[in-house]
Amino acid sequence: MLRFLIKRLLFAVPTLLAVLTVVFVVARIMPGDPAQVIMGDQASAEAIQALRARLGLDRPLWVQYFEFMGGALTGNWGSSMVTGRAVLGEVLNVLPFTIELTFVSVLVGAIIGVPLGVWSALHRNDTIDYVTRIGSLLGLSFPAFVMAIMLLLVFAIQLRWLPVISSGGDGSLADRAKHLVLPAANLGIIMAAYITRVTRSSMLEVLGEDYIRTAHAKGVPSMAVVWRHSLRNALIPVVTVVGLYLGILIGNSVLTEIVFNRPGLGKLIVGALTQRDYTMLQGLMVVYTFIIVVTNLLTDLTYGFIDPRVKYQ
Amino acid sequence: MAEAPVLSVQGLTTEFRIGGQWHAAVRDMDFQLARNETLALVGESGCGKSITALSIMGLIPKAAGRVARGRIEFEGRNLPDLDDLEMRKLRGDRIAMIFQEPMTSLNPVLTIGFQVAEVLRYHRDISASEAREKALAILEEVKIPSARQRLDDYPHQFSGGMRQRVMIAMALACQPQVLLADEPTTALDVTIQAQVLVLLAELKQRFGMSMIFISHNLGVVATIADRVAVMYAGEIVETAPVGELFDRPTHPYTEALMRSIPRVDRTSAELFAIPGQVPPISRMPQGCRYAPRCGLKQAICEQQSPPLEPLQGTATHFARCWVRAGGAA
Amino acid sequence: MSAADATAPAQDGGRARAMRQMLRALNANKTSWVGIVTMAVVILIAILAPVLTSHDPLEQNILDKLKGPSAEYVLGTDSYGRDIWARLVYGAQISLWIGTVSIAIAMIIGSIIGMIAGYFGGKLDLVIMQAMDVLLSFPSLILGLMVVAMLGPSIGNLIFAIALTAIPPFARIARAPTVSVKERDYIEACRALGYSHPRILVVHILPNIFPEILVMGSLWLATAIRVEASLSFIGLGVRPPTPTWGGMIREGFEHILDSAWLSIAPSIAILIVVFALNMIGDGLRDVVDPKLKGERGG
Repeated sequence: MLRFLIKRLLFAVPTLLAVLTVVFVVARIMPGDPAQVIMGDQASAEAIQALRARLGLDRPLWVQYFEFMGGALTGNWGSSMVTGRAVLGEVLNVLPFTIELTFVSVLVGAIIGVPLGVWSALHRNDTIDYVTRIGSLLGLSFPAFVMAIMLLLVFAIQLRWLPVISSGGDGSLADRAKHLVLPAANLGIIMAAYITRVTRSSMLEVLGEDYIRTAHAKGVPSMAVVWRHSLRNALIPVVTVVGLYLGILIGNSVLTEIVFNRPGLGKLIVGALTQRDYTMLQGLMVVYTFIIVVTNLLTDLTYGFIDPRVKYQ
Repeated sequence: MAEAPVLSVQGLTTEFRIGGQWHAAVRDMDFQLARNETLALVGESGCGKSITALSIMGLIPKAAGRVARGRIEFEGRNLPDLDDLEMRKLRGDRIAMIFQEPMTSLNPVLTIGFQVAEVLRYHRDISASEAREKALAILEEVKIPSARQRLDDYPHQFSGGMRQRVMIAMALACQPQVLLADEPTTALDVTIQAQVLVLLAELKQRFGMSMIFISHNLGVVATIADRVAVMYAGEIVETAPVGELFDRPTHPYTEALMRSIPRVDRTSAELFAIPGQVPPISRMPQGCRYAPRCGLKQAICEQQSPPLEPLQGTATHFARCWVRAGGAA
Repeated sequence: MSAADATAPAQDGGRARAMRQMLRALNANKTSWVGIVTMAVVILIAILAPVLTSHDPLEQNILDKLKGPSAEYVLGTDSYGRDIWARLVYGAQISLWIGTVSIAIAMIIGSIIGMIAGYFGGKLDLVIMQAMDVLLSFPSLILGLMVVAMLGPSIGNLIFAIALTAIPPFARIARAPTVSVKERDYIEACRALGYSHPRILVVHILPNIFPEILVMGSLWLATAIRVEASLSFIGLGVRPPTPTWGGMIREGFEHILDSAWLSIAPSIAILIVVFALNMIGDGLRDVVDPKLKGERGG
């Protein structure tokens, strides 16, 4: 088990290096001199040159590359070209908000999606099934920011149940939870739509398996056939989809953070992109890559938890 | 047959919905199963053998199929009349079933110890540890080597033959009256097949069970059955004690089946294949269902369906044929 | 079905069969019909935009700003006094255009990449598919954001960005059938007859993967339109004042407290289009992927 973990993490290193290289290359071929961008059009040539020297942009590319790679891997990500604050610190400041948001929304998605998918599969081609299928299709048709705006309109502006802006507050746990409800519901509902569909189709497949017939032939009550014999098998593809869904989830979290004005990686990256903050962008790419690697690892571990046929070698 | 039969099937008709219409996959089945008897249901795939077994078990998928008519009498009750709960309590306890595919018939995410003990948990009022001990005993009974160490193993850690033994253990855990074995050895290697057949016969004797053994393989049937019912297109076309049937196959279909068994005393050139195909259940012929493929066909065969009638001079050998058994010839 | 595939050497046979399959798929599914009709209406509205609108989408009437629906402005006006209906209709043109072109590009490039990887196999296959997997695992919105931020926000760059993120799934879906089809006898025969690789790929393999590619296309078209709207909403998509739905929501969002309608109207438009496309794709998939369709019998 431990060996498997170590091996998987080692495997992730080349991916990480490749992504970092791409990030470096992309950042350097972006049009516009960052020093120029930072100083603005009015700046003198000397001032820009001085800034270039300070940012290390005047050195040969390969030197910059190795410095960048070394820095990225040792956690020395430099400081923001715009604010001058340490990138790592900035990222670590907002990372908990994004993690909290995505984690809770995956949870919400699973808690709604799995039972709904099972229920739908058990009532295949009934009205219930039909409504669930159309509903989940509608759910995943929502661009995240559209649903976010709708939720904001209804629950924060019309009903005034929840705060309009998700940042700020007095920092207490209750306050933090209150600020999390709408963003997490937003991501959670869209996630639930995906999970419902996968659970339904995978459940239908499992219900047709020979071992389900065996369970019935043994006289196992229907409820136990569904929850003990079917669901665990049906969850295997669901885990795959949740893992693959991560990319969409990260994208959606960016949009959600913007609509609810919530601190997080999303707001950071949009800011970095519009302001050409290369160092910040590089740091964020490293973080995203790391998140993806860790999630893939978690997905694989979950497989092993569900499916005894998976061995860690 | 002085003793009352353990299981009595009368006029069983099971239908499936195809394109909005109900078609009989099994029609007017009649048979009885005596105590400690093995009845073999024989026929090509799709002839309704498995449907018959699933009808008895009450496992016909509700969305697509139904037991339309007939009685299945068991322990003084008519099974189609029972509700879901009563039927569930019967299944795995009084009537058990094993299936063709040992590789896919066990749940891949549950340990075999759990899967065997589970039967006992649902049908006997015993604790988890008692059930586990009993499961162990029955796994030893079906000769799983070092069963105690293997209780917590998963199905994928067992070979096909061993998995079928686990299936048998599950089926026998509650010592059922009737065991339905649906092609239990078909998916296994020949040597393993023989071992499993011997095991089944042995356990049947020991527990005093009755068994319905479903197979398309007459060779296997000859070794295990007391009585054989040959099925074709959802009907029994001939039934007789096993020796009698092999000595005097009467229905042209039975004859053809016999001729298609590979045997060491014949060359492969003589191996016989029945021409034509089983008609689909949505397009059954009017008269005798075998008529389109039959060499002895006469005018009446295509007009009227022949009844299952006893042959002259016997009370145990029946055939459904105008030419060989009825008065038409 | 696979038996039929194996004995279908005629080039037209494959294509005709693929088409028949698609038609059958459409007939079988009511939801996909709802989607098709809805999309047809949307496309018609987009095409007939000049006829259906009485205002230019860019025309500002500052005196009429933030007006409710009236005979003059069917859906009211935005904060610059522009006709919301006109902006919606012209926005549909841009959304559909960006979506269709980017997915068409992704479909073509992705299929070619997948077919080449599957057909030639070996190291090439390994490297290509590994690259596709890395690309696939990266959040597409972030990738799109990067590309647009890098190249500057223009319709062309937006199309490029969306196409780039949509290539891997098409490559994947084109690869698998190619691997299985190339082993079939008639492909061997073609090779023995001296047919060139491109010819075999286009004439004999493409028709086999076509139905699945098309299903993916309709599902990804929905995604593309969603991504375009998202990028425009973030402010890194099509530049204002060009009317886009995402951009309209962005502008409307600033007035969310007093004029919620400004963001609701384009939201509904996006939802209708994406939902309709998903209904089409979903219905098609049900039939093209028959795994869940077969009824079990005895």
